[in-house]
Amino acid sequence: MSRAVAEPTPAVASGPRQPLSPAKRKQRRTLLALAAIAYLITFLVILPILWIVLLSFQPSADILNDPLSLGHLGLANYVNAVQSLPLLRMYANTFLIAIAAVSLGTVVSFMAAFALTRMVFRHRRLQSAVKFYFLAGLAVPVYILLFPVYRLDLALGLFGTYGALILPYAAVSIPFNTLLMTGFLADFPAEIEEAAIIDGAGLWRLCISVVLPIMRPVIATILIFNIVYVFNEFPFASILINDPNMVTVSLAVSRFQGQFTVDYGGMMASATMVLIPQLVIYAFFQRQIIAGMTAGAVKG
Amino acid sequence: MNWISSRPKILLMLAPAFILFTLFMTYPVGYSLAFSLTKFQGFGTPRWTGLDNYARILTDQFFWQALVNTAIILVVSLAVLIPGSFALALLLQRKIAGSGALKALVFGPAIIAPILVGLIWVFILDPKIGLLNRALAGLGVPAVTWIGGNTLTPYSVAIVFIWSSIGFAMTIFYAGLQTLPSDVMEASALDGATGWQQVRHVTIPMLRATFAIVTILLITNVFKIFELVYVLTGGGPVHRSETLVSYMYYVTFTNQQYGYGMALAVIITVLGALVSAGYLMLSSRKGDRR
Amino acid sequence: MRSLILRRPLKQLLAAVALTTSTALALSACAAPSTPSGSAPASAGAKTEITLSMQNPDVKTADPATWAIVQAFEAANPDVTVTVSGEAVAEHLQKLSIAAQSDTLPDIFWVYKANAEEMLQAGKLLDLKPVLDELGITSELPTSTVENFTSDGKIYGVPYQELLTGLWVNKKILTDNGLQMPTTFDDLVNVAKTLHAKGITTISNGANQSAFSVWSFLVWLDRFGYEDKLSGLLDGSISYNNADFQRMYEHIAQLRDAGAFSSNVSTQTYQQAVSQFTNGKAAMLDAGVWASSAIQESKVAPNIGFWQGAQFSDGVGNQNIIMDVASAPLVVSAKSGADPTKLAAIKKFLAFYYGEKGQQILVDNGQPPVTNYQATVDETTQSVLKVALEAASAEGVSSPKSQPDLLVSTQVANAMYDSIYGVIQNQLEPKAALDLVQKALDENR
Repeated sequence: MSRAVAEPTPAVASGPRQPLSPAKRKQRRTLLALAAIAYLITFLVILPILWIVLLSFQPSADILNDPLSLGHLGLANYVNAVQSLPLLRMYANTFLIAIAAVSLGTVVSFMAAFALTRMVFRHRRLQSAVKFYFLAGLAVPVYILLFPVYRLDLALGLFGTYGALILPYAAVSIPFNTLLMTGFLADFPAEIEEAAIIDGAGLWRLCISVVLPIMRPVIATILIFNIVYVFNEFPFASILINDPNMVTVSLAVSRFQGQFTVDYGGMMASATMVLIPQLVIYAFFQRQIIAGMTAGAVKG
Repeated sequence: MNWISSRPKILLMLAPAFILFTLFMTYPVGYSLAFSLTKFQGFGTPRWTGLDNYARILTDQFFWQALVNTAIILVVSLAVLIPGSFALALLLQRKIAGSGALKALVFGPAIIAPILVGLIWVFILDPKIGLLNRALAGLGVPAVTWIGGNTLTPYSVAIVFIWSSIGFAMTIFYAGLQTLPSDVMEASALDGATGWQQVRHVTIPMLRATFAIVTILLITNVFKIFELVYVLTGGGPVHRSETLVSYMYYVTFTNQQYGYGMALAVIITVLGALVSAGYLMLSSRKGDRR
Repeated sequence: MRSLILRRPLKQLLAAVALTTSTALALSACAAPSTPSGSAPASAGAKTEITLSMQNPDVKTADPATWAIVQAFEAANPDVTVTVSGEAVAEHLQKLSIAAQSDTLPDIFWVYKANAEEMLQAGKLLDLKPVLDELGITSELPTSTVENFTSDGKIYGVPYQELLTGLWVNKKILTDNGLQMPTTFDDLVNVAKTLHAKGITTISNGANQSAFSVWSFLVWLDRFGYEDKLSGLLDGSISYNNADFQRMYEHIAQLRDAGAFSSNVSTQTYQQAVSQFTNGKAAMLDAGVWASSAIQESKVAPNIGFWQGAQFSDGVGNQNIIMDVASAPLVVSAKSGADPTKLAAIKKFLAFYYGEKGQQILVDNGQPPVTNYQATVDETTQSVLKVALEAASAEGVSSPKSQPDLLVSTQVANAMYDSIYGVIQNQLEPKAALDLVQKALDENR
C-alpha cells in the first residue's frame, strides 16, 4: 500500500489541468479502459464469494428454498457455528500445523531446488532424473496416499501427534515447490552468484544472502499456496486426526453434514470464518511479492 | 559453480527433500500399487488377482466416460485459463488504482476449499433453483440444464474450475512478471516497442518457464478435480458426469472396492504424468532455452 | 542499501520459521506418549473410557437420540466415560477400514452390515452372543433382527436404530387437488398425472450425493419377490434381469413418465428433497422415520400421513408390507472385548442402550424402539412419529426381514441405487438398469 501512496496512480490522479499531449491523453484513456476491465473482471470473480457471505446470514430453510429472499437475515448461523465448533482451537491447530509443515516443506524444497539448478552434478542426467522424480509427485491424487500414510504414521509413532499431518503435508508440497523454484531459478542468470563466490561466499551465505532475496516473489507465492493448501486440506485431516483436541479448520465445514441432515447455514457461516483469515494472509504475503520487485532490481 | 558442488554438499542439499518425499509419497504410491493387484473390499483380507483390475478398466464404461469428461474439462480450461490469467496478470501489473486489493480479491476463489466452491456453484447452476436459470427466466430464456443433464456438465465444471483457478494462475504469472529484469523491459520500451509488441517479443519469451509451470500445474490439477463434481452432481446422473478422480473415489470409498480403486488411481497418476511430460516435450522442442 | 533493509525482515522471518519448525517437531515428539491408545493406568476408582464412533460428524445435533442416550448413561454410570466421535458416512467408513487393517478400531462403532460381516470373518469383531444372553437383551430383540445380525452362530451386532421407511404424505395437497390417499400403483400414477398437470412434484427425492435415497423403491423389490429370489441372485442361478423385476422397473419408468419426480432430481440432494416436502412443495417424501423430527417442526406436520407404498396387481407375493427392520448394526471390536475392564464398561453401556430407559430416550428423540419395548409416544409433540408407528403396526401389515440393499455387498447395493435412479432420471432403460445390477452381482461372486 505504501507504494500506492507514494506515487498516486494515473487512473485517479487529478493533477493540475494542463493540456496533455495527444500521446499522453491516449495513454491515459487506455489506462482508464484497462482499469474498467480489471474492475469488471474482479467483480465477476468475487460475486460468488459475496454470495456465500450473504447466504451465511440466511436460515438454512431459506437457503434451500428461496436463496434470494432477504427477509430473515440474522447472525443465527454464526452463533450456532461458534457454539458448536471449537474455533479457537481449530485456528490454533491449523496455524501450528501450517507454520511447521510449510516451513519444513519450503526449506527442504529450496535446498533441493538450489542443488538441482545451481550445483554441478558429475552426471547431468542424474540431476534431471531427481528433478523429474520430485515433479512426478504432482500427478499423484491424494487418495492414493491416505491408507499407507496412516500406516506409516502408526509405524513411526506419529499417530495422534501433530507430526502425523505435518510430515505428509510437507512431503506433498515438495513437487509444487520444486516446480516453482527450479522454474524461476532456471530463468535467472547465475552471474551474481558467481560474483559472490569469487568474493569468497560459502554455500550457506550464497543461499541465504544471495539466492534467497532474488527468489523473494517466488517464495512468497509458494508460502501463500502452501498455507492455503493446509487450510483447505480435507482427506488427510479427516483420516489422520483422531483426537477432538487436534481438529483443524478444514474439518469445520464438514461438521454440519450428517448422514441425513445438512445445516447449510452453518456450513456457509463456518466457510466465511475460514475464508477471512486466509484473505488476510494473502494480503500480507502479496506485499512480499511486490517488495520482490525492488529486490529483483538489485541485480540489474 | 563447481566450487560449491562437492559431492557431500550436493547430498546434504538434496537429502532432506529426498527422504521426506520418498517416505511420504513414493512409498505410499508403491504400497497402493501393490493393492491394485488384489481384490480387496476394505475390511476383509486382500486376495491376489494379478492384473485383473487393470483388465477390468478396459471394459468399464463409466471409466471411459470419466476420461472423456476430464479431457473436455482439460481442453476448455487450458484454452481459457492460460491466456486469461496471463492477461489478467499483465492488467493488474499496470498502475491501476487499488490493483493490490484487486489482486487479493481475484485470488479469493483460490482460497476457498473445493468442496465449498462446489456448494456455491450448485446454487448458481442448479437447473431448477439456481440463480443463473432464474436470471435467464427473467429474460425469457427457457431453463438450461447446466448440470445434471446429459451433455453440459463437464463444460459447467470447466467454468467453475476456471473460476476457482484464475487467481492461482494469475498469481504465478504475476510473480513471474516481477522477476523480469527491469532494464530489459525499459530498453525494449525505449526501442519504441508498443505494449503488444513488448508482450509478444520480450515478455512471453522471457516467461517461457512460467508458462510451463502454470500449464503443468493446471494439467495436474484438472486430473485431480473431485470435490467440484462431487458436490455439483455427485457424478450423476448415473456416473455420466464423473471425472477420473470422482469416479475413483466412488469406486474406492462408496463402493468399497479398494483394489480396483487403487488400480484406477495408478492409471490416473500415470495419465496425468504422461500428459504433463508430453506438454514439456512439445514446449521444449519449440525453442531450446538458453 | 535498500535491498539490505528489505532483506532484514526476511531473515527474521526465516529465523522464526526455523524456530517454529524445531518447536513443532519437539512438541509433536512430546505429545506422542500421551496419545489415547487405551493404555491409561487402570488404578482403582479410575474412570473407564470407552469410545463410540458414529456416522455423523456432529452427533449432538445430527443424531440427538444417540447423544441423549450417552448423556443419560454417563449420568447413571459415573465410573464410565463415553467418548463420542464421528465423521460423515464416507469418511467414517474410510477410517474404520484403515483402522481395521491397523488394529486401531474404536470400542463400539456404527458400520454397514456387509462390512461388519467382513470384519467378523477377519476376526476383528467381538461375538456379542454371550454378552447379550447374559444381559437378557437377546430375548428383548425381535427374532428377525437377531437372525439378521447372526453369522456362523455369532451375533456380531445390535440394531443401532429402527429402519422404518415409507412415503411421508402431505394429505392437504392431495385433498386440495381432489385426490384420495392412493393404495395401488394405478392410484399413484393417477396422483402423479394430476399433480404434474398443476406443476406439483409428487415424490420428492434427490440423487446428488444421496443415491441411496430410494427407500420406497427397495420395498417394491420385496413386492416383486426379492426375498425368495435372493439366494438365487447371490449364487447366480437367478438373474437380476428377470421378468418380475423387469415389470417393476417398467413401473418406475411409468411413474417417471407420469411426471412424479422433481425436474432437478439429478442435482438435488436428499436434504433438499426433505426441505422441498416440509415447505409444502411436494406431495410425498421418500424417506423414513428419521425424518419425523424435521417434519414435526415444519408447517406440514398437522396434515401428515405415512404410506407403506404402492401395491401391485402384477406383483409377486404379499403386497401389504411395510419396511420396518433393523438398520445398520452397532458392533464391538474384538480387541476391546479382550480387555476385561473395557468389556465391563461396554456391557454396562449395552444394558443401558437396550434397556427400558435407553429405548424411551430413542422414542423421545423421534426414533422407534429397536427392542420389544412398548413406548410411550406423546400425542401432540410427536404426532408425526405416531402416524408412522401406527402405519407399521396396522392390522394385517407385515415387514420383510431386511431391506434388500442390506443383504448384498456395498457394490451391488450401489448398483441397485444407480439402477433405480437411472430409470427415474431417464438415463437407463429398464433392461439396461437391470443389467447394471446383474453385472455387479457377477463381479461379486
